[in-house]
Amino acid sequence: MATVSKVSKRPQPGLEPEYCKGCNRCVEACVHGCIAPGQEINPLTGLMPVALHLDECNGCGLCVDACPEPWGLRVPDPTPPRPRAVPADLAPERQPLGEGKPLILKGAHASAIGALLAGCRHFFGYPITPSTEGAELMARLLPQLDGHFVQAVSEVAAVNMMYGCGGAGLPSMTFTSSPGLSLMLEGVSYMIGAEVPGVIVDVMRGGPGLGGIGPEQSDIKLLCRGLGHGGTHAIVLAPATPQEMLDFTQLAFALAFEYRNPVMIAADGYLGQMTGKVLLPPAAVKPGLPAWSVHGDAAHRGNLINSFHLAEADLEAHNRHLQAKYLMMIKAEQRADLYRCQDADVLLVACNTPARMAKGAVRALRDEGIAAGLFRPQTLWPFPIKALKPLLREVRQIVVVEASDGQLEDELRLALSHAGVGEGIELRHLRRMGGVLPSQREIVDAVRAAVKRRALA
Amino acid sequence: MSTFYERFERHDHARGLKARSTHYCAGCGHGLVHKLIGEAIDDLGLQDRVVAISPVGCSVFLHYYLDVGNTQAAHGRAPAVGIGHKLANPEAIVISYQGDGDLASIGLAEIIHAAQLGLPFTVIFVNNAIYGMTGGQLAPTSLMGQRTSTSPGGRNRHMGSPLRMAEMMAQIDGTAYVERVALFDAKQRARAGKAIKRALQVQADRVGFAFVEVLAECPTHLGLTPPETERWVAEKMVPVFPLGLKKEPTAPPFPPWPPPNHDPAELLRVIGATSAPVARFCRGFPVTAFGEDIALKLAGAGGDGAQTAALLLTKAAINEGFDATHIPSYGPESRGGTSYADVRIAESEVLSPAAPHPHALVAFNAPSLARFGPEVLPGGVVVYDSTVVTAPPSLPPGVRPVPVPCTAIAHELGQKMVKNVVALGALVAATGLFPPETLVAAVHQALASKPKLLTVNEEALARGRRAAEEALAQTAG
Repeated sequence: MATVSKVSKRPQPGLEPEYCKGCNRCVEACVHGCIAPGQEINPLTGLMPVALHLDECNGCGLCVDACPEPWGLRVPDPTPPRPRAVPADLAPERQPLGEGKPLILKGAHASAIGALLAGCRHFFGYPITPSTEGAELMARLLPQLDGHFVQAVSEVAAVNMMYGCGGAGLPSMTFTSSPGLSLMLEGVSYMIGAEVPGVIVDVMRGGPGLGGIGPEQSDIKLLCRGLGHGGTHAIVLAPATPQEMLDFTQLAFALAFEYRNPVMIAADGYLGQMTGKVLLPPAAVKPGLPAWSVHGDAAHRGNLINSFHLAEADLEAHNRHLQAKYLMMIKAEQRADLYRCQDADVLLVACNTPARMAKGAVRALRDEGIAAGLFRPQTLWPFPIKALKPLLREVRQIVVVEASDGQLEDELRLALSHAGVGEGIELRHLRRMGGVLPSQREIVDAVRAAVKRRALA
Repeated sequence: MSTFYERFERHDHARGLKARSTHYCAGCGHGLVHKLIGEAIDDLGLQDRVVAISPVGCSVFLHYYLDVGNTQAAHGRAPAVGIGHKLANPEAIVISYQGDGDLASIGLAEIIHAAQLGLPFTVIFVNNAIYGMTGGQLAPTSLMGQRTSTSPGGRNRHMGSPLRMAEMMAQIDGTAYVERVALFDAKQRARAGKAIKRALQVQADRVGFAFVEVLAECPTHLGLTPPETERWVAEKMVPVFPLGLKKEPTAPPFPPWPPPNHDPAELLRVIGATSAPVARFCRGFPVTAFGEDIALKLAGAGGDGAQTAALLLTKAAINEGFDATHIPSYGPESRGGTSYADVRIAESEVLSPAAPHPHALVAFNAPSLARFGPEVLPGGVVVYDSTVVTAPPSLPPGVRPVPVPCTAIAHELGQKMVKNVVALGALVAATGLFPPETLVAAVHQALASKPKLLTVNEEALARGRRAAEEALAQTAG
């Protein structure tokens, strides 16, 4: 009988009629017939809330359980809402490494080690030639550092795991190659929209479609202009040596967290496979935890990672915020390497491995007395126009050397056009595709021919 | 219920009634599922640890309501996002909340593989047999004969048949707990509440992957009143989607995950940056006929060891303080195809890493010699395996052939794998690239974990060197 007396003491439900949509699910749930479908339209909602007649109510609560509205039918709850902490940024920690000996590493391995040095302990990826060596090294090393390596069901899943891990405030990365990048672009757009950091290393190969497995610079257009749907941008770093594969990957994590945005590394198939000498940086990084993260703890309970803004004004404001960030990147993050550019009247523009051939070509051309220089963008987006502009006073010809159908040249042309410079400078190019890189000899021949034509004109 | 926001600030900035009213239609099952999740979180005291994932679909706004850590995922990808969250913080209680389009159509690969992975993780699958947010289209769980805006004549065989997700999930070894519940009467709601609570407990105890399918009501798109929809679920859906427990946990819980290691000394050890530097033997950049930017090519069939030899050369050069690069090139075959390697050595910086016109070529077979021999620069050297290349083609003028029976020597040494090391010994002797000690040191470095192989490799280097010297003496004579 104790049960009965307990039941009879239970509080009866209450209802603020404006929070009732009149679904009547509670009507059927009440075994005492205390609730009737409403007969009057509520002036606030235009809906017909149920009518309560609680004379027979024993507070069983079944009507409350049947109500789909959290603030609909309910019994008064005396417990106050649990307070929410105000999260603070936990800054990353710089950890000096002392003197390490030079390593001899493949480009893809150098990039993986750059990620480890940046404090990345989470890798999500799907094997694809010619990027797989990076993933394989992570699979071997991460367990030794109590990190996590996940071979995802697809590139689509991999990038979304990064979205989760980055949303939780931790650094994560993937290695992929061109067809895999295509699959990841949906997720990259979400990462940019929701302001989630992460590093994607794209070891570019020949396209379109399945293309080939040889090196190309086939994704410059996608990386600079097509990171999924919407108005998206991310810093695109273009290394040219195994050393830069390490340095730029470590840098990419810092930039990703500084801007709350993914960072893309455009490598080529040659660079991923190329073994070379790599010096360690002076320090490694132990990641912090940003205040905005959704980490699954008390401090960060109030946070949200989200790219959905239903109200037009909200989405427009969000886009303006993103574009202000892009502008900051354009101002602060242009990077370029200049080789004998100071007095050059013919400028070679090249990035990644073709830039190495171009550098060799510049040396050979200078030996012949041709005033050539190499302008090597280390960021493809933002394009380093600030470093290029002052050179244009001397330059009479530009030769763009690339392993693509002109994607680097398009970036150059856009940058020149936005800056309103470059008029009167002759733009020529040397392009190889399909897995063939421009050779030093070809570049020298092309520049020689260009200079000769100029002399004749 | 403390797990719901007091005011739904994210719901149209809490304007008017939206501060406390959901966006769901009258009688929708989603609100009930939200409440059951909220109660389970309250009862288990997990509020601070929960990360709830809002999917795409009607429940995209889950984060308007639940006062927990929230994230919104791309259509179908919530399980992948959840894996990222769980591995970032294994203490987090991750809830992937998904509808039938999200989970059973566009996100099928993600849910199956998340289940296969089997991490402790909770999936709440709300199945109402129709697409809500896009306006009443066919769902993968729509019933046979069901009329929707994309099956106006009723679902027929041409549109496939309903997917039974709970049964499918129970089949996967990675899942720990699977149950299907419903909301159409008080008894079902009580069962659903218990199941959702258990699905969270299973995760909190690190037991494994928990999946609860909830048969829910969509009165708007079924064109029925809410009470009629409850009866539709009970009478039409339940026979196709039988309720009940589909799988109970049997495996022991996962052990706790240690936090990631960020000790710099351990990092250096793991990446192999701690071993002592190798001694140098060169007095300066090697004086050869090839200048300051040396191009080498090693070519053969897969398994000949061209890549290993090329890497040894590269490492030897870097050990000596020079810059060097190695680039491999393979045919499409995993084994036995063509395999060639370009090596560049420069005093301070290798520019072009390719070696289309090498100063020296090592050819392990006749096709490689025929292909690359003509590309060798005047004054260059071609070392070839004279055991297998019996009729060498003529080489460009000024290129010295160095026949070395690499395979035969390796057989004599009882270790046929070392024919590439024989070739290396010959190459270095024929070009004057390094003193013999440089390669010996590089071999020691490479075989640090296989000391038994040292003697035979050293012998191979020496035999290669001698064979090259003899061959050169013959051509000179």
